[in-house]
Amino acid sequence: MTAAAELIGVTQRFGSFTAVDAVDLAVPPGKLTTLLGPSGCGKTTTLRMIAGYSAPTSGTIRIDGIDSTRTPPEKRNLGMVFQSYALFPHMTVADNVGYGLKLRKVPAAERRARVMETLELVGLAHLAGRKPKKLSGGQQQRVALARAIAIRPRLLLLDEPLSNLDARLRVQMRTEIRRIQAETELTVILVTHDQDEALEMSDEMVIMNEGRIVQQGAPQQVFPRPADRFVAEFLGYENFLTAADGTPLTIRPEHLRLAEQAPGLPATVADVAFRGVDLLVSLDVVDPSGATVRLLADVRGGTAPAPGSSVTVVTPDDHLVRLPR
Amino acid sequence: MKRPVTAALAVVGYLIMIVPIVFVVATAFTAGSTLRFPPDGFSLRWFGEAFAYEPFVEATISSVQLAVLAAALALLIGVPATLAIHRGRIPGKGLVEGLFLSPLIVPELVVGLALFQQLMVGLDLDNFTALLVGHTALMLPYAVRVTGASLALADPALEEAARGLGASPLRAFVNVTLPVLRPGIFSAGLLSVVTSFNNVPLSLLLQGRDFRTLPVTMLDYVQQSYDPMVAAASTLILAATVVIAVIAERTVGFAKIFGGISR
Ligand SMILES: Nc1ncnc2c1ncn2[C@@H]1O[C@H](COP(=O)(O)OP(=O)(O)OP(=O)(O)O)[C@@H](O)[C@H]1O
Ligand SMILES: [Mg+2]
Repeated sequence: MTAAAELIGVTQRFGSFTAVDAVDLAVPPGKLTTLLGPSGCGKTTTLRMIAGYSAPTSGTIRIDGIDSTRTPPEKRNLGMVFQSYALFPHMTVADNVGYGLKLRKVPAAERRARVMETLELVGLAHLAGRKPKKLSGGQQQRVALARAIAIRPRLLLLDEPLSNLDARLRVQMRTEIRRIQAETELTVILVTHDQDEALEMSDEMVIMNEGRIVQQGAPQQVFPRPADRFVAEFLGYENFLTAADGTPLTIRPEHLRLAEQAPGLPATVADVAFRGVDLLVSLDVVDPSGATVRLLADVRGGTAPAPGSSVTVVTPDDHLVRLPR
Repeated sequence: MKRPVTAALAVVGYLIMIVPIVFVVATAFTAGSTLRFPPDGFSLRWFGEAFAYEPFVEATISSVQLAVLAAALALLIGVPATLAIHRGRIPGKGLVEGLFLSPLIVPELVVGLALFQQLMVGLDLDNFTALLVGHTALMLPYAVRVTGASLALADPALEEAARGLGASPLRAFVNVTLPVLRPGIFSAGLLSVVTSFNNVPLSLLLQGRDFRTLPVTMLDYVQQSYDPMVAAASTLILAATVVIAVIAERTVGFAKIFGGISR
């Protein structure tokens, strides 16, 4: 199966700064792939190179197997949703959505039908005659989505589409974008710095750091097996310790268990924070290598241990992740 | 008010500006025949006289012609130049922009004198051409400023979005960027017309026998006779200026036009 988009050794330099560093990436067709990483890791730069807004310093970009490295954006037939939405302020919602079809010389009647069909897909048919300024942020976001989808693009590119929405709407739109992706069967690349968003939405997630891809795979594979300490920290693994043979280990706070006695690691309770449904217990633990490390345990149920008391910490083997040295 | 001194100064400033205007407007409606305050009775007589006075009518037509042509020329030069400065890859952008803004700083008398020597004496051009060049130069800063401000406000992603949807660079510019700039350009044009229409120093220096602007003609008139007809004419100009300024303000806002000229 050919990849919908393929990056081969793609590098982008701005002066002496390397924003994207020899990235190899194959985006599976008909799936939702997220580019996930902290601010400044090169996600937008990567997406803009795929869209054709900037040419890579070196490397090759293939779209549907065809070398498109130097193809201008207007010849790529990709749908892009910008973080600012970039709706044309002087056009109505319908004209925004129909703009790409007009450029493709789709006859007026068919154009209208396709605009309405697309607006219905995003649930905005009743606002077709409005100007963008008179829409809420969430509605503007849907218009931007509709405009990108209306041209039936080969790829749908979304740059942090949810980051300008309030928290509740953001969570709602995750499902919404998944539904639209499923209905249109489009290949989607979504940029985000929110790991929850990526975990929930992705078929495939690509984690970037400092211009490089550090791990790629389905959320079900990536989440329990972070490839290195950076990914582990990014995904919320807060506890790092060392095995007797020196191998770095990590475990999530919710997987630590507190026990009365051995087997386990001896620990002293440093602090207890009550958080409603659970307790966050800070512990000074003597790890298998003999070093004392500060670990966090996310405990549900049971009574809160007293600060200063001695406890035993159990690290279940199936949740303990070995990291490269 | 948090700053009483500043507030008081502002009030005094406005009074100094407004009181003479009130006097002029009031005397324009006098029934008597001298420029005196308070006016003797009320009549529209002097407005009728002003409309019937041939030199004023002719000069008004000349002034409007000059103002519209100069404003159009300034936009025609200023808008593309600004686009080139902001979007293009021109070395020394700041210098070029500074050059276009310089008429704001150079005293108009100096500009007028230079134009008089170079164009009218040196090249033997008629005074209308010299006036047109002078006024166009004077209007350029508005065109450059307003276009620059509108461009800075326009999201660069707009043009990219249009490109992504299939528009060539030119098409994206025409379909998306230009409409976003349009209100700014429109109001720059209006303000240029007003500024040119009300200009005295340049018009005075570059006046000729066959082409005179209204302010210069009015100045001449005042030197000979001192009746309320000038006040009536001034009031009419004032009214027209206010209307145009309000339209300009409604479309873009002065803050954007005049704000941050020095940056
Ligand atoms: N045109 C440019 N010129 C110079 N440096 C740039 C340019 N575009 C991006 N960069 C730099 O490249 C790096 C990656 O930028 P990019 O916008 O791709 O990050 P990002 O992963 O999208 O971050 P964010 O989550 O903040 O949007 C940043 O350090 C940025 O400052
Ligand atoms: Mg970004």
